[in-house]
Amino acid sequence: MARPAVLAPAAARRVRLWLAAAAAAAFLLVWPLLVEDAFFTHMATLVLLYSIGAASLHLVVRIGHLSLCHAAFLGLGGYASALLTTRLGWPFLPAFVASGLVPAAVALVLGPILLRLRGVYFVLITYSFGELVRLVFVEWQSLTGGSDGIFRIPPPHPALLTSRAYYYFALAMAALCVGFVARLLASPAGRFIDAIRESERLARSSGVPVLRFKVMVFALACGLVGLQGSLLAHFIHYVSPGAYGFAESLNFLVINVIGGMGSLAGPLVGTVFLVSLPELLRGWVQYQRLLYGVVLMAVILYVPGGLAGIGKRTLELIPGLRRSRP
Amino acid sequence: MSLSLLVPILFNGIGISAIYVLIALGFTLIFGIMRVVNFAHGEFAMLGGFALLFLYHRLGIPYWIALPVGALVVGAAGLLAEQFLFRPLYGQELQGMIASLGLSVALSEAAVILFDVYQRNIPTPFSAVIEIGGFPLPQDRLIVLAVAVAALAGFWLFVRYTRIGLALRTVAQDREMAEAQGIDARATYRVTFFLAATLAALGGELFAQIYALSPYMGATPLGKAFTIVIIGGLGSVPGAALGGILLGMSESFLNTFYGASLAQFASFGAIILLLILRPWGLLGRPEV
Repeated sequence: MARPAVLAPAAARRVRLWLAAAAAAAFLLVWPLLVEDAFFTHMATLVLLYSIGAASLHLVVRIGHLSLCHAAFLGLGGYASALLTTRLGWPFLPAFVASGLVPAAVALVLGPILLRLRGVYFVLITYSFGELVRLVFVEWQSLTGGSDGIFRIPPPHPALLTSRAYYYFALAMAALCVGFVARLLASPAGRFIDAIRESERLARSSGVPVLRFKVMVFALACGLVGLQGSLLAHFIHYVSPGAYGFAESLNFLVINVIGGMGSLAGPLVGTVFLVSLPELLRGWVQYQRLLYGVVLMAVILYVPGGLAGIGKRTLELIPGLRRSRP
Repeated sequence: MSLSLLVPILFNGIGISAIYVLIALGFTLIFGIMRVVNFAHGEFAMLGGFALLFLYHRLGIPYWIALPVGALVVGAAGLLAEQFLFRPLYGQELQGMIASLGLSVALSEAAVILFDVYQRNIPTPFSAVIEIGGFPLPQDRLIVLAVAVAALAGFWLFVRYTRIGLALRTVAQDREMAEAQGIDARATYRVTFFLAATLAALGGELFAQIYALSPYMGATPLGKAFTIVIIGGLGSVPGAALGGILLGMSESFLNTFYGASLAQFASFGAIILLLILRPWGLLGRPEV
């Protein structure tokens, strides 16, 4: 049967995907100019920043580990950047780079030890490590300011004091970081990652240096979330141990679970929901936390693919976006 | 070190250990038999505390009735959680764990809505100080210790000498073989969950009496249970007892001489070392 389309189906699908991406990018660029309310740009900035951390935890999830200390690395990045700019007077850029390198270095040292453990043992050791780091933030008062934290962290640049300006800065940074993660997952390294998750033994026998590879991915993920820590600290001008505890680590994990752990779309969808909803439901703080727990249970029981899984199935109902099968 | 200093520390250590063991025992049972890491375990302890507050303080039911009834009510609530939340997820370790995280958040937030967040005290009916061998010992701590030891002994006798206990041990060792012998594994799961939640609630009742009662208090016993089962071995019952005593004693000593934060650093350091060197714990068995 002759096809009416000019392009081959695969090429046509690619064009449509590019168009969809261009439309999304245009929307993200234009809407802050139309909406005056600073509350929405502030919230959207938080969503963008958290998408970096959520996407980085997705990398750890993809190598088959659930980490409960991701917020500890967020904190290491935040404190590194805050201390370097306020105490040593470093400019933002080198402090930002350091905020990625410090957590990555810690992860590189700990990785070979932590990543030998699988399943629940990995979860338990990361839980303990996360609490240990938080305790260090609280107890090392001369350096970290104890429970009070560090105040008056300067913005990256004097022009970035308004939330609309910071929104565009965060958009660029998030696009870079999330784009990097997407590129990595689509590259041959992404195949290694999937091979390791599906069967470590098979991957090893196929010549994948499993542990070394896992450590590299883990260090990369921790470095990325450290960058988020820096961007967040310079956005809200404040770091304190309470923001980097178990609840925050759990939040990163829940973003991934509710969004869906199968693809990078999951954590991105999850971030939009879990970061913006609490901001929108400010007047309902108690019920919102209760809902959070209930939704987590419901998703695990009834929607194992997460929100992104539902979205994908809905999108596949649209004829043009369906992946053509031979 | 003088004896007058040593005896209170030892006594304190034993009391704390006994409560920790009560809570850790259920945690390790649920993991050993159902392979579920139950993050909501601390919330069962919290519910136990509130059950005691309600029954004993609000309704005025005598202490010795309110204590077991409160624990059993929470145990029954645990059965509901088993039925609707954990049962569909058996065999999926990580999913079960995430579900328990959701339950933990939901229970503590529901408690905040129902009871408010402030810390309360449960006034104890025993306030005398008893002298034993020249050492003054507070009566309420003695009672806590006695209740915990009695519950642990009862649990041990149940698991060791009853047919249900035998079934539990069989399923823990090898579920498929147990089922081939005609043991109803699901029924043993229900019994396990009920026992675990009841023990945790009893531990929570005692914990709330000695320390304080609040919706978020579950995090502390959960953290202790974690530490204990990692020391003793995840899934090992004697390991939970050994781990509880080691943790309670070392905390009591370190708290007295070096302060609470050093005690916490030390326990984190110890479990991280242990997880690296011997992830199956002191008395556990390595997994294949």
